[in-house]
Amino acid sequence: MSVATVPEKAEETPRKVARIPLWANPRIGLIVLLILLVVLFSALRPAFLDTRLTLVPLQSDISVYLVVGLAQLMVLSLGHMNLAVGRMAATSAFAMGLVHDKLGFSLVPSLLTGLVVGALLGALAGLIISRTGVNSFVVTLAMDFALVGLITILYTAVTDGVAFPDQPGGMGALRFDTFADYCAGDVCGPRIPLVVPFALVAALLVGLLFRFSRLGREILMTGSNIRAAELSGIPTKNRIVQAHALSGMVAALAGFLLAANNGAFSASLGDQFLLPSFLAPVLGGTLLAGGAVSVLGTVLGATITQVIYKGLNLLQFQFDQLQLYIGLVLLAALSLDRVRHVIASRRGAKL
Amino acid sequence: MSIDSTAVRSRFADPRFWRTPELSLAVIALIGFVALAIATGGNLLSAGTLGAFFRFLAVPIVIGLSQMVVLAVGQMNLSVGALTGLCAMVAAWLMIKAGLPAPLAVLAALAVGLLAGVVNGLLVVVTRINGFIVTLATMTIIQGLRYGVNGPDTFQGYSAGLRRFGQESLLGLPLVFLVALVVAALVAWFFGRATTGRRLLASGGSPFAARLSGISNDRSLVIAHALSGLLAGVAAVLTVAASGSVNSSIGDDLLLPSFAAPIIGGVALAGGMVSVTGTLLAAFLVRLVDVMQAQFGINPRWIDLIIGAVVLGAVLLGTVRQKLQSSPARSARAPAPPSPGPATDNTGSPTDTTGRST
Amino acid sequence: MLVAEKLVKVFPGVRALDGATLRVEAGSVHALLGENGAGKSTLVKLLTGVYQPDGGRIVLDDEELHLGGPTDAQAAGIGVVHQERNLIPLFSVAENISLHHMPHRRGVVDRKRLHEEARRCLGLLEVDLDPAVPVSELSVAQGQLVEIAKALSLDNKILLLDEPTASLTGDEADRLYAVVRKLRDSGHAVVLVSHKLEEVFAVADTVTVLRDGRSVAEAEALSGFTQSQIVDLMVGRAYEKIELAERSSDAAAVPALRLSGVSTSIGHRNISLEVRPGEILGLYGLVGAGRSELAKAVLGLERITGGTVEIHGRPARIRTVGEALRRYRLGYVTEDRKDEGLFLEQPVSRNVAVTVWRRLAKAGLVSDRSERKLTDQWSESLGIRLASPLQLAGQLSGGNQQKVSLAKWLAAECDILIVDEPTVGIDVRTKAAFHELIAGLAADGRALLLISSDLPETVALADRIAVMSELRIVGELANDHDYPRMSQQIIRMIHAETHAETSS
Repeated sequence: MSVATVPEKAEETPRKVARIPLWANPRIGLIVLLILLVVLFSALRPAFLDTRLTLVPLQSDISVYLVVGLAQLMVLSLGHMNLAVGRMAATSAFAMGLVHDKLGFSLVPSLLTGLVVGALLGALAGLIISRTGVNSFVVTLAMDFALVGLITILYTAVTDGVAFPDQPGGMGALRFDTFADYCAGDVCGPRIPLVVPFALVAALLVGLLFRFSRLGREILMTGSNIRAAELSGIPTKNRIVQAHALSGMVAALAGFLLAANNGAFSASLGDQFLLPSFLAPVLGGTLLAGGAVSVLGTVLGATITQVIYKGLNLLQFQFDQLQLYIGLVLLAALSLDRVRHVIASRRGAKL
Repeated sequence: MSIDSTAVRSRFADPRFWRTPELSLAVIALIGFVALAIATGGNLLSAGTLGAFFRFLAVPIVIGLSQMVVLAVGQMNLSVGALTGLCAMVAAWLMIKAGLPAPLAVLAALAVGLLAGVVNGLLVVVTRINGFIVTLATMTIIQGLRYGVNGPDTFQGYSAGLRRFGQESLLGLPLVFLVALVVAALVAWFFGRATTGRRLLASGGSPFAARLSGISNDRSLVIAHALSGLLAGVAAVLTVAASGSVNSSIGDDLLLPSFAAPIIGGVALAGGMVSVTGTLLAAFLVRLVDVMQAQFGINPRWIDLIIGAVVLGAVLLGTVRQKLQSSPARSARAPAPPSPGPATDNTGSPTDTTGRST
Repeated sequence: MLVAEKLVKVFPGVRALDGATLRVEAGSVHALLGENGAGKSTLVKLLTGVYQPDGGRIVLDDEELHLGGPTDAQAAGIGVVHQERNLIPLFSVAENISLHHMPHRRGVVDRKRLHEEARRCLGLLEVDLDPAVPVSELSVAQGQLVEIAKALSLDNKILLLDEPTASLTGDEADRLYAVVRKLRDSGHAVVLVSHKLEEVFAVADTVTVLRDGRSVAEAEALSGFTQSQIVDLMVGRAYEKIELAERSSDAAAVPALRLSGVSTSIGHRNISLEVRPGEILGLYGLVGAGRSELAKAVLGLERITGGTVEIHGRPARIRTVGEALRRYRLGYVTEDRKDEGLFLEQPVSRNVAVTVWRRLAKAGLVSDRSERKLTDQWSESLGIRLASPLQLAGQLSGGNQQKVSLAKWLAAECDILIVDEPTVGIDVRTKAAFHELIAGLAADGRALLLISSDLPETVALADRIAVMSELRIVGELANDHDYPRMSQQIIRMIHAETHAETSS
């Protein structure tokens, strides 16, 4: 599922292409790190392996932040950023709550409404970026400001100011149930929360998009070299709008999953999305330069981040202290990646 | 004030002056201020209100400058807010727990800021990782450290002298605000007159050309980040003085304003130019909107909405202005290079330039 | 005084310099000549520390130099005006001139001395510019003058001028050369790189000619040569021996691409030309004549403000490249393959298939297999040497990169191709093969518009040659492939035009 970062694939080639040794594959490094972390935390706190207490909520958290990471990944493919990812999620979640509350929509139509709203918000950002040529950072930052105000105003106008009083039927099941609660005869599912498939399907679809679809490939080409893309007949402006629209849509899904986990469509939803949205893809080896993304890396990045949070939490670290370690891990991972890159290219040059 | 040697001589006769974004900002700020003064029935002009108005303008100005300094070399510093918080906590800790006199604590806070900035700069230069990501990582680390100083507890009751400094006024203007103005003047002088500042701008404006002229872009990056950290330290000192108590949440709400002020003020993300006046005026405008909200009991969230809309508006205006200015420059004799597509990839470090072969 | 011996510089895929030697004496003007891609600019960049040599040595006044960067070259007294513009746009003229040694008092810029210095240097060139104006407000020619003033501001022992007059008027160039003579007479050495042979003969004393990265004439007195002897040295005899298969095109056929009276937003006026299927129309002109810009206007990237474009006899309004590609089967192989032609960090297969994903896709999905098949097909027929279709385009040699850049248009089944400077930056050895390839494309019935600044190439390949100068077509010739006669006529056309302009 790792897309467009070719080195892994290029190993098949006989000569000229620098062989990337196995140890230099960033994904392998992440898996090793993940295993080490799990071993460490389980050794320090056996409760880390407790299914009900730790593993089930951990899976829910990973699902949410994987989707958040994917939302950011959508625009990183262009070499853009989406600083409004949290607020796009919150605005879309508001829309979901609203259509349920006022129009009596059930779960699926509410979700779809939210996704559409997210896509529209993203498309608006993309439209401004592609028409004015202004840096995506500025545009989405301003959009974040605008939406953060809008959300509270909307919630104040429509609800008691904090959250919708009730939610579509089925949200509760998404929050508490695992597949183990659903049995066909004697056979019950594994202890996997119901939100997990949402995230996995999203990851699969995004992977498919960038790996095989014309749209995804053209977005990557636009990110890789916009002038060459333009001169190859790719409608680059449309691709920019579409990538941002998809980013908004995926952010809306993340908002929905978090609302399901929290048990409410609330105004503060998505406040904590910005940092993790970058952490997951960047840890997973996606660069800010655009033109290459790694969905598998994003999955690993999201998993590692949440494992660290959960593990340190069990060790009774405070939330703010967790930040310290997450930052250090990010810095270390990136520096190592750089070192690896330099070594690999030096070896490549000698071949 | 896109500082340039054009200054002084025939500033007002120069048509360029009348097209500067600073002028339009100044007009808007003035109109806004007068309108608000009238709307509040002159209440805004009462000593107390006016004092508070400028006292809480000091930190936004300095934090905006802190961001502007790195924008000048085409970088970003996401850690400014967290760093301000850390420096404030360190200063308070030194006064209360270590019993140091206020001046030493102030110097220590500045030193911490400077050191963090140098680390940011060195990380960017040594690892060649995008500055956005580097400072994203150091931001989270600094947030952790900030919390580590005193956990969730609040420091208060530190040096009475420092707190008095925070409340004192001179000629009707709060001291902290005057300090911020002095800092702004120093920054303007640095970019306008000091050779180091000019080199920074050269690196930001055209890294390759700067390198050909013997300027070290790496050095410029480190200096810019160091200066940004130092200014975050200044913002921390002003916060400690003006607020009277500090805790680990200080600085959380500073990151977005730090970008808003320079960007509204007309500073380009691509680097190569600064506008101290623009940043000052933009911070003033944001503060004006803030006060308006307090005066009329408007939902504070409207403020964010308005600021967001204003930034977007400023961005659009900037594009339009650029287009208007560049079109007559296209002389028939020298065809301008075609510019398909937006230039949105300017967040990279300016040292990543490579010359082309024949 | 300055000796650069047996310099070697290798870029991925190209040996830009292969043992070139340059000897420059104090008190002389030394011309460094050669065709596009012969290695002149690379040599200049080695001498100024922008690149480091892979072999050979540089000796200045009997002392070997190791230039780690531009600062080292400055310290050694080597000044330069590069071919590319290297000014800081928002800085004033004065600051740009003194950027490398900003006058200061305790770290504070000394405005007074700064402006004095600027006035002194501009005065040398007799240029009347306000030192306080930001260079972003200057014209291209004025910018060039500022760069030259900047190089004069340091008292360099050696001054390298890489195409200094490319954007100057005759008058401005004359003033520059007056300064060059003054410098020479005061004992400086000046190395002049220029395409304009008349200027070279008027000002230079000695000459070094580069061909394929080697020096074929080393520091010889220029007075011993005629212009055509120099051209022969630059081009080499090898060229005239290229034999291409005879092609015939039907002169009565409907032109595949026809422009009549086209003017553009860039400033082209009244451009008329036509290319028939199976024909190669050469569009020759000096760098900056506006040929690539015309191509881009045809593709819809710049606005066409007047006249008509016809494709296969039907009027066409092309608004986007996609439209040109899919509706009119018109492709443009760019001159700037690194920035506009290729996706260097993407696999070759994607570079080739990017134009046809729409066709390859089934339900919006593109399979790797179809992409690879396409790449195999075209790498075979174009002779692209690949380790694998998944190899990154940036890892290929220049010639192979250019073929990939061409392959995507062939894959899209374009029958009209605008090929822009196809052999810039390509080894001479692969150049001949490329010429055969281009001739073959036309022989298959495609209509080719060949944009080139390489006169021998144009004469060898084209059926007819249109000459462009200053955004206008100044003439068109039927090509009889007789190089001496054709080159004379073409150069005369360009010169007639510029002379007419300067006298009017």
